[in-house]
Amino acid sequence: MSARNELRHQQELIASLQPALHVPQNWNYEVDGPLYTAYVHPPHDVGGQFDVPVVYEEKEEEQWELDTYVTCEVLGWRGVWNSEERRRRADNDLGYALYVGVPYYGRWILSAARMLVDKNHVPLTELVEKIAEVKSRYGKK
Amino acid sequence: MARSKPPENALNTPANARFKVGDRVRVKDLPNLFYTRTQMYVRGIVGTIAACTYQDVIPEDEAFNRDGRLEQYYIVRFRQKDLWPEYQFDNDTVQTESPERWLDPVDN
Repeated sequence: MSARNELRHQQELIASLQPALHVPQNWNYEVDGPLYTAYVHPPHDVGGQFDVPVVYEEKEEEQWELDTYVTCEVLGWRGVWNSEERRRRADNDLGYALYVGVPYYGRWILSAARMLVDKNHVPLTELVEKIAEVKSRYGKK
Repeated sequence: MARSKPPENALNTPANARFKVGDRVRVKDLPNLFYTRTQMYVRGIVGTIAACTYQDVIPEDEAFNRDGRLEQYYIVRFRQKDLWPEYQFDNDTVQTESPERWLDPVDN
């Protein structure tokens, strides 16, 4: 273990094994106050929460991100939704796992799709079939 | 979009505003349900009105398309040490924006 990069790698692996509080939850009959507060906490309110160090990446927007931005703005201009507060609320309504699990514009496009279905602008079946058609056009499953 | 406008005459207090610059206020600790923009870390903490900004729809209404009910917004300044007891520097502050309904007066 004389190589410093090997040491660092091993130390990171060891640190990753430290115990973490993770209690599976499934249809609880009793939810105490703090747990309830955690459940109803809006995912976007992250101020003051501890986090691991995040690598800063100098990254340009990808085309799908720009397309998503424009799509959401146009939906706002057309009055289909209010592009600021309701999009923000819709992002939160994705739920915590999706909110933190997908990229920033991933939230936007999922929220836009959900809103279009919610408001009966597009039937869910039509949307799903369209997604399948586009995927197959690009040879993806 | 009204919210992105720079505050005009932010240091002047509108006639019908409940608070004026320099007033001390405590952020209400209302239950969260479905949506809010009032951060958990300022709830119950005393800050100072730094500016009276504008009147706008409150987030809790706008998020559900209930337009029309306008409310005065304020920029509230907090001491970092009041928010985070372990914070090391006495003079550092942080400012957040809040509509009137989230603020209670504090006797000076």
